[in-house]
Amino acid sequence: MLNQSWWKILAVVLLMFTIFAGLLFPLKSGVLDVDPASVRTGDELTLTVTGYNSFYERGKDSMRIWLKLDNERALSARKIDVWDDRQLQAVFQIPEYLPVDRRVQEMDLVVDNAHDGAVVLPSAVFITQDSINPELGEQAWTNDPITNLHADRSVTFPFRNILYESIRNQYFHVPLWFAMIFLFLGSVVYSVRYLRGYRADDDQRAAALTRIGILFGILGLITGAIWAKFTWGAFWSWDVKQNMTAVALLIYFAYFVLRSAFEDPEKQARISAVYNIFAFVALIPLIYVIPRMTDSLHPGAGGNPAFSRDDLDNTMRMVFYPAVIGWTLLGYWVASLAYRYTRLQNRWLGLTD
Amino acid sequence: MVFLRSMQLVREIIHLFRKDLLLEFRSSYAISGILLYVFSTIFIIYTSFVDITTPVWNVLFWVIMLFTSINAIVKSFVQESNNRQLYYYVLANPTALILAKILYNILLLLLLSVLIWLSFSFVAGNPVLRTGQFLLAIFLGSVGFSITFTFVAAISAKADNNATLMAILSFPLIIPILMTLIKLSASAVGLIQDTGITKDILMLLAIDMILVAMTFILYPFLWRD
Repeated sequence: MLNQSWWKILAVVLLMFTIFAGLLFPLKSGVLDVDPASVRTGDELTLTVTGYNSFYERGKDSMRIWLKLDNERALSARKIDVWDDRQLQAVFQIPEYLPVDRRVQEMDLVVDNAHDGAVVLPSAVFITQDSINPELGEQAWTNDPITNLHADRSVTFPFRNILYESIRNQYFHVPLWFAMIFLFLGSVVYSVRYLRGYRADDDQRAAALTRIGILFGILGLITGAIWAKFTWGAFWSWDVKQNMTAVALLIYFAYFVLRSAFEDPEKQARISAVYNIFAFVALIPLIYVIPRMTDSLHPGAGGNPAFSRDDLDNTMRMVFYPAVIGWTLLGYWVASLAYRYTRLQNRWLGLTD
Repeated sequence: MVFLRSMQLVREIIHLFRKDLLLEFRSSYAISGILLYVFSTIFIIYTSFVDITTPVWNVLFWVIMLFTSINAIVKSFVQESNNRQLYYYVLANPTALILAKILYNILLLLLLSVLIWLSFSFVAGNPVLRTGQFLLAIFLGSVGFSITFTFVAAISAKADNNATLMAILSFPLIIPILMTLIKLSASAVGLIQDTGITKDILMLLAIDMILVAMTFILYPFLWRD
């Protein structure tokens, strides 16, 4: 199979799809910001809403806006003024008393129109009560239930505050890690094969796969650091996942130091095969167990990142799975080139025929 | 048949274990060297820190433990000449050889860690509130360190510049164990209120089991030259 070319073509097709679809599909429309973000009870609230990828002009006639208190109760805008596609103004009358016994109540903003579909900005507005009286609030509350929301039928990626456009990194950062693990796994398989048959070929394949696995790991780390800069505010924040990753890479750097410590190729191959298997097993608690037991900024503190319902929607899956397969196949392709390069080098040096 | 063979293995392990112990007592150079190493490290740490708070105590204990263990174990496979190693390989099963080494190193590290604890408490006070839990951490630590370092020592003994190789191979491998241990002992000295201690202990046991299994499988490929 390794000498056939169909899987290389598949890798190219899948990665082209990943890059084009991943970078070109627009984000779903969302709300970037509202102004003012806090208000007192009894006020008339004139809210300026700034949208992202939104088409307020086109959805003007079907535009409805709510401030949502909880799943049953919401307050709808009395007047909506669309300025342009990205900005509109909505006027709400905040009642004297709220039907809650909290001093400060947060409300979600829901914007719905036929063109963009329904958009939510969680905790958009904070309402401060002058005096708390839930019963009076209950009486004064005029409920406008949120009904008949429009669905967005276009092919889009989810809009997430904090993430914004960087959500596309999902098709690079995460699959690169997946591909790294698959490459290391392949390397272990060749190391085991080496120890069963002592063929120099298997050892060189294992070394090539490890080398490319490390490359993918470094790329995963860099894409992750860039993502972290955008979302967490720093390239490196000593998060447990970042640390464990760095350690994992150290383990594999040590693999190459170990290789270079031996002159005798047979001894080099045998001992590095042994270390490779041991290191892969030691890697499992490092990457898959400890980070899941500790609090972390990274998604997936209590489970698998990238597989929960919150992390991926169906459109993202459509690009994410091909990306994983594509990056893995590309990794194996590059590794096979690295292996052939080593073999040619050895032949040229007269080490093998 | 299987029973006989495993009896044979146990007997070999006991013999090799006794041999290591005897060598240690007769030469006494290695053990006294490592003891002096412990005392001077603690002395240096005490004179440079002066005031050692509980969090620092906790971390320093394990750092001393880490370096002492590496220094104690690195010699496992190099203190005896190559010819004598060859002689052992002819006589004994490689599995028995590595298991005896691991057991011997566990014993050594247990003694060393208790010693570090005592002498460290002597100069910097003893902040340990739950002694049982701390002893458990020491035990699990000795087992984990011993397995990992013995295996890495076996690898690095094959190369010439083995002290450097020992450090770069074993530090990354030991970090998961070390972090869990520091957490476990942090709760033993009362730094954190942790309810997930059983989880940590199980985790350490699981790591130890995996590493022992790997050593068991892989060492036969390592020893012959």
